[in-house]
Amino acid sequence: MAMHISNQHSEPLDWPNLFKKWAKEAPEGALKRYYQAGMIAANTPLKDVPLLALDLETTGLDPNNDEIISLGLIPMKHNAIRCQGAGYWMAKPKKALHAESVTIHEITHSELTDAPQLDHILDDILDVMSKQVLVVHCVAIERQFLLEASLKHYGYPLYFPVLDTMDIERQAQHKPWWRQFGKAPSLRLDACRQRYHLPRYKAHHALTDAISSAELLQAQIAHHMDLAAPISRYWL
Amino acid sequence: MDVELTEILDALCQYAPFNEIADEAPLADMTKEIEIQYVRAGEWVISPDAFNNTLFFIRSGAIEVLNKDNILIRRMNEGELFGYASILRGGKSSQTMRTIEDSLLYRIPARWFIKLYEENDTFSDFFELAREVRLRLAMDSQSSDVSLMTCPVTSLLRRQPISTQADSNLLTAAQIMTEHRVSSLLITNQQELIGIVTDRDLRTRALSKGLPFDTPIADIMTANPIVLDSHDYASEAVLKMMASNVHHLPIIKDGKPIGVISAGDIVQRESHGSVYLISDIFKQSNIAGLQNISRKMTHTFTQLVNADANTQMIGNAMSHIGIAFVKRLLQLAEEKFGKPPVPYCFVALGSQAREEQTIKTDQDNALILSDKYDPKAHGEYFATLSNWVCQNLDKCGYDLCSGDIMASNPRWRQPLSVWQDYFSQWIREPKAEALLRLSIFFDLRGIYGDKSLALQLNRHIRKEAKEHTGFLTFMARNANQRKPPLGFFRQFVLDGEGKQSRTFNLKERGIAPIIDIVRVHALAMGSDKLNTFERLEDIEDAGLLPDGRAKDLTLALEMIGMVRIRHQKEQIDSGESPNNHVNPANLSSFEKRHLRDAFDIVARQQEFIKFRYAGKRS
Repeated sequence: MAMHISNQHSEPLDWPNLFKKWAKEAPEGALKRYYQAGMIAANTPLKDVPLLALDLETTGLDPNNDEIISLGLIPMKHNAIRCQGAGYWMAKPKKALHAESVTIHEITHSELTDAPQLDHILDDILDVMSKQVLVVHCVAIERQFLLEASLKHYGYPLYFPVLDTMDIERQAQHKPWWRQFGKAPSLRLDACRQRYHLPRYKAHHALTDAISSAELLQAQIAHHMDLAAPISRYWL
Repeated sequence: MDVELTEILDALCQYAPFNEIADEAPLADMTKEIEIQYVRAGEWVISPDAFNNTLFFIRSGAIEVLNKDNILIRRMNEGELFGYASILRGGKSSQTMRTIEDSLLYRIPARWFIKLYEENDTFSDFFELAREVRLRLAMDSQSSDVSLMTCPVTSLLRRQPISTQADSNLLTAAQIMTEHRVSSLLITNQQELIGIVTDRDLRTRALSKGLPFDTPIADIMTANPIVLDSHDYASEAVLKMMASNVHHLPIIKDGKPIGVISAGDIVQRESHGSVYLISDIFKQSNIAGLQNISRKMTHTFTQLVNADANTQMIGNAMSHIGIAFVKRLLQLAEEKFGKPPVPYCFVALGSQAREEQTIKTDQDNALILSDKYDPKAHGEYFATLSNWVCQNLDKCGYDLCSGDIMASNPRWRQPLSVWQDYFSQWIREPKAEALLRLSIFFDLRGIYGDKSLALQLNRHIRKEAKEHTGFLTFMARNANQRKPPLGFFRQFVLDGEGKQSRTFNLKERGIAPIIDIVRVHALAMGSDKLNTFERLEDIEDAGLLPDGRAKDLTLALEMIGMVRIRHQKEQIDSGESPNNHVNPANLSSFEKRHLRDAFDIVARQQEFIKFRYAGKRS
């Protein structure tokens, strides 16, 4: 088994202590409660870590200008994804949707007119995220969009520890330069899933994509990761 | 929050039986309780003897099914379901499932399977196969050590574990063991098991070495002892004890010891088992001893039921116990009255001959004598022997036959040639009235003495029956006399009136008609089998019935038989004497539904034999 997968920081982030610090600084409300709940200890073995797979659909790829319009999440452990805890929200964007984003996620304006604004559901989502390590495919997107949303709504940043299935896959597929031929392997969610013989799903529904990432992580854990290793080795 | 798990629901609904369920609402609810699990190739999903209460749906990948002997039974792919057989068996799996490719599995909680199975006809029809599978599995695993194979190890635990800390000394350990009268002591460190000390350890590692009383117990304990998981079966305990030559096994649940089982516990448990009961029977040298054993019979019966044995296993076990009593009594009789002057064969009739006895049965038996028999010279010997055996069987709980079909009746104690004449006459000139009473003779098994006499007689019966179609017509008509208790609208028709008797008789209206139907077919094809299930196999192999009908009858008999056995077990548990009268109000909806189906099968098959063996009225 390839055991070289790690967070690739020389010093793993000390999330529990960072949470303590932010808990003091964050403004009263859901975000403060989220930090106050704390984060599991850095030495918790991977097999015992409560995980929460999350995916966002947005109006575009620019966190500064585009907005979150749907969010799906599902709780899991290394060996079970629990549908019972699945959550799905739609959020009405402040600006109109562009045509090209509608063709990607197939969420139309009319579907969103009755949805609440993201501000109204952010509290609920933070409650669900409490003490969970998030699982996402491509951490940059989710982290940036949620950070922006948090800054706008609470006036304070939201940070959270993450297992990034894309990063894990990049490491798992990594070969030294002298053994690389042709193209680097694709790290798209669907392409990654196919390497583990996972079924094809229709992409771009936030809950389905969250489940997709959750299944991918289970496969990656089974193939490449050490269940007894501390979570600090993997979290970003 | 109400979340639609569209992708998962859609995946399920691509495949039977989910695609045939018209109302999606319950499926959508079920989907919310699914757990998704990725399993790498080569890993167990259901490991040997594991407890399973999950219905598995293969979303992708492939699974192989192995039987107890690790023989590949079949391979399953995307869209197939497994795990239901063990759910239907109350969680016990006799097959094992292993991934042969990386697989993605949906784990559906058993309660959803049971709910859909009970409430949705489309769904349960799909799994009718499951009952067939279950039956076949149960028959495969038929073995004398059924009780150990299927009894969970926790059922052997009789007390909380006795333990002490590692820093206690020899003296206190010995005192604790004496006080609690145990032969082993667990050594724990904050509830976690770290060692075990037995009587023998105290003797060989402490006393014989002259260790001081204040030696820490940790010095002589066996550290990290071999343990058993609370989910394991007793058979696993036996294997571990034998393999590692230890006599005490701590049982661990959630990481903590919950008790210890000793080799003695297992021997004691098995001493109630049918195997030990039978060997005990042969050790008895007098009637009082045999009577003593006969009092343990209900216990053996309820134990078999508790161990989830099927009707065939129970019928087999109870019959062999009955046969053991007969054999032992005949051995004792021959010691008492001398060796028989001419060869004879003691034959069992009816349910004992078919190896389908249950807890409460009359004795039905007869004696075939060699044709060298001379009534003047030998008559008294066989009369004395038969009377003594039948009277003592009565004392051992096998009531005298009300119809006087017993070896003690001179009419049923005859030389082979007379028996052959009896049967020829019955078969050539059948009288329906008499045959109904005498059909019991058509299930006849030699159990002691010169069994070739019984074989010859059976051969004679088969030959005559096959050649005389008029006889089969009569037998078929007989088989139709007792009707299943189904009225219009598939309501159960009750046998009695008034509150006390709102019951129907499972044996008269279900089991006996099936046995009768099957006997007609068996005689028609000249099968030499006596057991109804075995006869049905012959009938199926011979293609005597349209495809699947023999299997239907097998399932119907198993279903009705199972309800009867559970009913009798409950009666015994509540101190009543067991009978065949069941009140439909006390049946679960599951039992009701399948009983109705079973009775439907019986009714249809009764119709069928009417036409199959129509014949001319003469």
